[in-house]
Amino acid sequence: MIKVQGVNKFFGPLHVLKDIHLNVDSGEKVVVIGPSGSGKSTLIRCMNLLETPSTGQIVIDGVDITAPKAPITKVRESVAMVFQQFNLYPHKTVLENLTLAPTLIKKISRDEASESGLAFLERVGLREKADAYPAQLSGGQQQRVAIARALNMRPTVMLFDEPTSALDPEMIQEVLDVMVDLAKEGITMVVVTHEMGFAKQVADQVIFMDGGKILEKGSPEHFFTNPEHDRTKLFLSRILR
Amino acid sequence: MKKLYVLIVSLMMFVALAVSGCGSATDSKPAAGGTATAPEVKAIQDRGTLKVGVKVDVPKFGFKDPKTGQIDGFEIDLTRALAKKILGDEKKFEAQGVTAKTRGPLLDNGEVDLVIATFTITEERKQSYNFSDPYFTDGVALMVKKDSGITDLKGLADKTIGVAQSATSKKAIQEAADKQGIKVKFLEFGTYPEIKTALDSGRINCFSVDGAILYGYLDDTTVILNDRFTPQEYGVASKKANAGLAKIVNDTINDMKKSGELDKLMQKWGLK
Amino acid sequence: MPGPFAGFKWLALMNDWSVFAEGFVQTILLSALGLTLALGLGIFFGLLGTSHVKLFKLLNRVYVEFIQNTPLVIQIFFLYHGLPHLGIMLPVFVVGVLGVGVYHGAYIAEVIRAGVESVPKGQLEAAYSQGFSYWGAMIHIVLPQAKRISYPPLTNQAVNLIKNTSVLAMVAGGELMYHADSWSSNNLYYGPSYVVTGLLYLSLCFPLATYAKRMERKLEVSS
Repeated sequence: MIKVQGVNKFFGPLHVLKDIHLNVDSGEKVVVIGPSGSGKSTLIRCMNLLETPSTGQIVIDGVDITAPKAPITKVRESVAMVFQQFNLYPHKTVLENLTLAPTLIKKISRDEASESGLAFLERVGLREKADAYPAQLSGGQQQRVAIARALNMRPTVMLFDEPTSALDPEMIQEVLDVMVDLAKEGITMVVVTHEMGFAKQVADQVIFMDGGKILEKGSPEHFFTNPEHDRTKLFLSRILR
Repeated sequence: MKKLYVLIVSLMMFVALAVSGCGSATDSKPAAGGTATAPEVKAIQDRGTLKVGVKVDVPKFGFKDPKTGQIDGFEIDLTRALAKKILGDEKKFEAQGVTAKTRGPLLDNGEVDLVIATFTITEERKQSYNFSDPYFTDGVALMVKKDSGITDLKGLADKTIGVAQSATSKKAIQEAADKQGIKVKFLEFGTYPEIKTALDSGRINCFSVDGAILYGYLDDTTVILNDRFTPQEYGVASKKANAGLAKIVNDTINDMKKSGELDKLMQKWGLK
Repeated sequence: MPGPFAGFKWLALMNDWSVFAEGFVQTILLSALGLTLALGLGIFFGLLGTSHVKLFKLLNRVYVEFIQNTPLVIQIFFLYHGLPHLGIMLPVFVVGVLGVGVYHGAYIAEVIRAGVESVPKGQLEAAYSQGFSYWGAMIHIVLPQAKRISYPPLTNQAVNLIKNTSVLAMVAGGELMYHADSWSSNNLYYGPSYVVTGLLYLSLCFPLATYAKRMERKLEVSS
């Protein structure tokens, strides 16, 4: 589904991604962990070209999105992103947030987009907020709306960039619940997070990044019980305190 | 909001009325004439200098030399004669540049005592200001580009004529054009150099103003046509209330005419 | 005895009211078209200014700095007296629309740039991630949000633009100020002429300025 091959990324003199190789199969749930500044957010942002890799190749569903004339907007229609800061459109109602791109970009009829939008709102438990504006919602609610917005694009891949990091502790669980629920489906998910419980529960593959490199990959069992690298152990010991 | 609107409008009206009220209050004082020194003349003598509005962009009449900063011309010499008459010293005057737009207000608010600035006497203007008898008479003339091939007013049919914003020349040309049965368009500008610039850039086909003034702008590419229209008479203007000052000015000019001094000045400046 | 505001001068003005009406209409037309042009240029160059492409940014800076740091009077003079020497004779009305349009376009570009930059970067990223193109994201996501911030300063620009059409009087622009100058320098009834002219400008600008104030207050309340 997603093939990352030899990707490097520089921000000026900073070398933030160093020769990244990664395969994500269709339907696979991949959780990326690592200390801040390890390059994990940059990696996931490269996967829908919010950052352009300096070198290397990323192929999604057979399309080389790093090619010079890649149909990037087309690819993005099926690769949805959920952000740390939610990034809901504040001038639109909740339902309009869900229907804007499907109607304008995917040319789905307004009725159809509204209908499926309401269904997804139902699923994240916020159907009654359809006509509210984002500013009237709590952070947890906003993030759930953001997930519903991503889902309403009917994506094949969902990217989550630290979806719970900006939330108050009491709101984290409601968002994770939605994500766990989502993981039961066949959708491909790449999640950057510090939530180890979530990783244990849903990940098929856990990736540990540090200093712009992938230090270790493996199943959650391997990862949380028997990590190879000292660096991984140290990180886990700190975070699982 | 509407209230505020009304308030502002009425405030402006009030200011306008108040100003005009003040005007009439001072105006109603009896203007001292005859032999006794009028109060405004006394005020000038006490001040020790005569304040005059003159042209600074009209060669031979009132022109400020950009190199020396000195204003000189026929009308400046006339000012000297008046300063000598009123204050006994031809150097006791302050000249200030005026334009068509500023000469009225400057007289009204007392910034200048007299305007001697190619100011054409009209009936309409006489209602607002005192004018002396004319000290110079000149016809309105037409200047065109040499390469335009225009030789008379008829050649300017449906063409555009640039005039100054004190449109006595506009009226004169309009009347002449009407008589000849042709149509002309006018554009008005604030100063003469602007009209010349417009002629050079081709915005207008003809620069029209009083002949003597026009000669100051003649160059290799332009020619002044022979036609002259409705004579324009220049007078010295003063505030309507200052009848005493007006009389002194008028007497001085008439004396200069009689003595031939005025003619001499015109010859000095090549205006005759 | 007549002061600058003597009654007969007011009567003369009332007799010649059509002179002022003609100028007033011309000023309104000039302002409307000038504002349209200014908005178009302002949005275009404002967006160039928010771009990450260096060349676009440079274009924005050159336009804004050049126009903002030269007097409008000079720009109008150039269009009116300068261009004919290059063989381009624009009608004075076009000179007016171009003059105030280009001049205020530079100010509006800055307003738009500030407005767009006030919208968090995440908004553009969210739009991109949903498959919006740059222009799609601008039109549907960023500009509607920038608009709220930009409205009050934009309205102020509109007010300034209306007032600045009076510069056209210098080049016989045929608008309100030109007619006021022309009428009053002929008969020297400048008192009523400029009071009435001032009131006419006020009648155009004051409602707009009031509207801007109200918008501003609304923004303060909502934020």
